[in-house]
Amino acid sequence: MSAPPKTFLYRYSWLTRASHWLWVLAFAVLVSSGLQIFNASPNLDASDKSDPARRVLAIGSPADGVGTTTVFGRTFTTTGLLGWTDDGMGDRGAHAFPAWLTIPGFQDLSGGRRWHFFFAWIAAFCWLAWIVSTARRGTLRQMILLPSDLPKLWPMQAYYFKLRKEPPPHGLYNPLQKAAYTTIGFIVAPLVVLTGLALSPGIDAIAAPLTAVLGGRQFARLWHFTGMLLLLGFFAIHVFQVATQNVVNQMRSMITGWYQTNET
Amino acid sequence: MSAALSGCGPVSNALVNNGAFQKLLTAAEPLNHALIGTRGLAREYRDGDVDRTFRVNGFSTPSNSRYQTLAASGFAGYRLLVDGAVERRGAFDLHALYAMPQQTQITRHDCVEGWSAIGKWSGVRLADVLDAVMPRGDARYAVFHCMDDDGQGHSYYESLDLHQARHPQALLALRLNDAPLDPDHGAPVRLRVPTQLGYKSAKWIARVELVGSFANIAAGQGGYWEDQGYEWYAGI
Repeated sequence: MSAPPKTFLYRYSWLTRASHWLWVLAFAVLVSSGLQIFNASPNLDASDKSDPARRVLAIGSPADGVGTTTVFGRTFTTTGLLGWTDDGMGDRGAHAFPAWLTIPGFQDLSGGRRWHFFFAWIAAFCWLAWIVSTARRGTLRQMILLPSDLPKLWPMQAYYFKLRKEPPPHGLYNPLQKAAYTTIGFIVAPLVVLTGLALSPGIDAIAAPLTAVLGGRQFARLWHFTGMLLLLGFFAIHVFQVATQNVVNQMRSMITGWYQTNET
Repeated sequence: MSAALSGCGPVSNALVNNGAFQKLLTAAEPLNHALIGTRGLAREYRDGDVDRTFRVNGFSTPSNSRYQTLAASGFAGYRLLVDGAVERRGAFDLHALYAMPQQTQITRHDCVEGWSAIGKWSGVRLADVLDAVMPRGDARYAVFHCMDDDGQGHSYYESLDLHQARHPQALLALRLNDAPLDPDHGAPVRLRVPTQLGYKSAKWIARVELVGSFANIAAGQGGYWEDQGYEWYAGI
């Protein structure tokens, strides 16, 4: 018995694929260089000016050889992980995030800023390219969560939990995928950009309401950090899903563009 | 993720030492400058928002004998020299500066390190000083020469283009929180540029030099921190 012929769908345009992988690179650099920038002042305050009374996160080293992390007033000893960590020069020192997690891989605020701003522009162009390429192929509309999708969210989750035999009827993307793409692509990612811009004193002079609505400059720094954690969370789930569902087919389609539609 | 990133360490460290790549990264600066520029006004706060103990940014009181001597005399011998590409060189003592119209601003100081503090600053608008010396047509930048050095032969200096220098909140501050500046905060005269990061707000200013280009001053990047890799445009 011979196998049925394989059928392929050209799923991703070159622009989608290029911007996807460039975004992966940019995101890794932005996180690492962002941690470098954070290390220069390793506190996050829910306030406009710096205010220890409204400190949400503080990573520090109260004594040589000791690292601590204080979250909402509760202090944990995190020596080696946070506070007193790898300094990137063969030793340990008072560094909030360890040097192996930061770009550059040693204390260098100006270097971190250079990487961060350059790749922020790259990431912004990737986002624009993604919008343009998916809009051109007509798939952008199918990614956006609509009110009519809301009743299908739980049935889809129930299907994943094996509480339902069939997923609810849906288009190219299922309701949960649409929820994730809409939240990350159209809410979280733009907010990360806006909260980053709100840290700029030049932007603050042009668009003071932006900083004000975020709760002030230090608060914007806290939101920017939180947005990064949300993007990291999305990234973890995304990679898990790709790795556990037809990984070869998925990776091939994001590299060559071609997705096998009759894979068993 | 962490394993992947730790693998990036050697790669990123190699790129850190690659001049061409570092040059490429600086492409973001003119984009940021064009996008943000110097527009609008920094937010002004109320008296109640002021940090009574204002955090000292950058270096503390200069230890050199020139500064110590001036400070010991209550800055009686201090003159702010304004020269270079100007029609009329100026030398302003503190009486002359206090005799000019004074501006008070309660603005937030945003340090490049990430922290912010609010201070009440009073002094002379930089634009008024520039008007007094009349910059020539070839003047493009105001360079601020300071009285401190890092002990390794590098004096602090900063620069603004004339558009930034004429911003209505660009201030030659004489007072902080209703008292004359103390030595740690830049006595007797410091700059306040609330639309840019704190390193632009140079302390202990001795001389303002109007130039067409700062390429021949120190390492040529327009400021002490700029010479060490920080952006000249500090609005972000």
